[in-house]
Amino acid sequence: MNDAQLVQQVLNGNNHAFRFLVSKYQRLVTHVVGRIIQQEDELEDICQEVFIKVFKTLKRFRGDSKLSTWISTIAYNTAITHYRKLKRRGELSYSEEPNLILAEKDPGLNQKSIEKEEAKKYLMQLIESLPVNYRTVITLFHLEEFSYKEIEEITGMPEGTIKSYLSRARKLLKGKIEKVARLEQTNIFVDYV
Amino acid sequence: MYNEDRNFDTDKLLKEAFTSEPEFKLSENFTDALVKQVERRFAWKQYLREFAIYLAVILGIMLVAAVLAFVWYDVTVSGWMAFFTKNASLVVGINLLLVFVLFADRVLLRYFMYKASTE
Repeated sequence: MNDAQLVQQVLNGNNHAFRFLVSKYQRLVTHVVGRIIQQEDELEDICQEVFIKVFKTLKRFRGDSKLSTWISTIAYNTAITHYRKLKRRGELSYSEEPNLILAEKDPGLNQKSIEKEEAKKYLMQLIESLPVNYRTVITLFHLEEFSYKEIEEITGMPEGTIKSYLSRARKLLKGKIEKVARLEQTNIFVDYV
Repeated sequence: MYNEDRNFDTDKLLKEAFTSEPEFKLSENFTDALVKQVERRFAWKQYLREFAIYLAVILGIMLVAAVLAFVWYDVTVSGWMAFFTKNASLVVGINLLLVFVLFADRVLLRYFMYKASTE
């Protein structure tokens, strides 16, 4: 079943089609919302809100873009609205700016034989500590494999800004990894030689 | 120990981290709960639509009856107006009651029965 057929089935009130749509795009919505919100307790409610919005506005979907792009746009807008609300209320427990000092001082990194999995986990933590726009473009570009044009459509950011965020995020993380490896004299990244 | 001479491939490491699944998880019954919620919304909208159709039909019948009364019987606009102004509260009260009964029968009761059957 292609996207157009799926949309038509959902609009006809076919619950199985809607269930299929949710299963198909649940991963995508969870990633987009999760990377922006970063709060497990809010995640489910916001994902639910996204799919309800999708259901309510599906008749407006013209098929000009891919369904995944259209759903991602709704997910991004919903998540960013909640993010700003949380930020205004001061309920965000992390900094907007990358703050890797604590992670760098993690005593766990001194161990000689830290597994490859742990190195990846540590890097994932670094990604989560990036500013929200960096995290979002990384998720959309690398994880969900959207093109620059599609990310522009989803987030409303110009293509140049997206490229710049990706490049800056990469540079920032690269610098941090190398710094941590030298500062802590650890071999956690040797698997990547 | 860390070896200064061994340069690890940060690009490879970053690529792997960027394409790794984040640890965000939804509950296992997420889809079921969501579909149930959407089904309810769909049912509510359907019942409301039916209520609107019923209401429109009833108003249409009343309008036709009023036109027939003007045509076939000796009814005047001033006579209607006098009746309405004299019995305003009664007319408004009965109409509101009828609309509410229709709404309760066509929407509320059906929705709550549907909701109870799906829980």
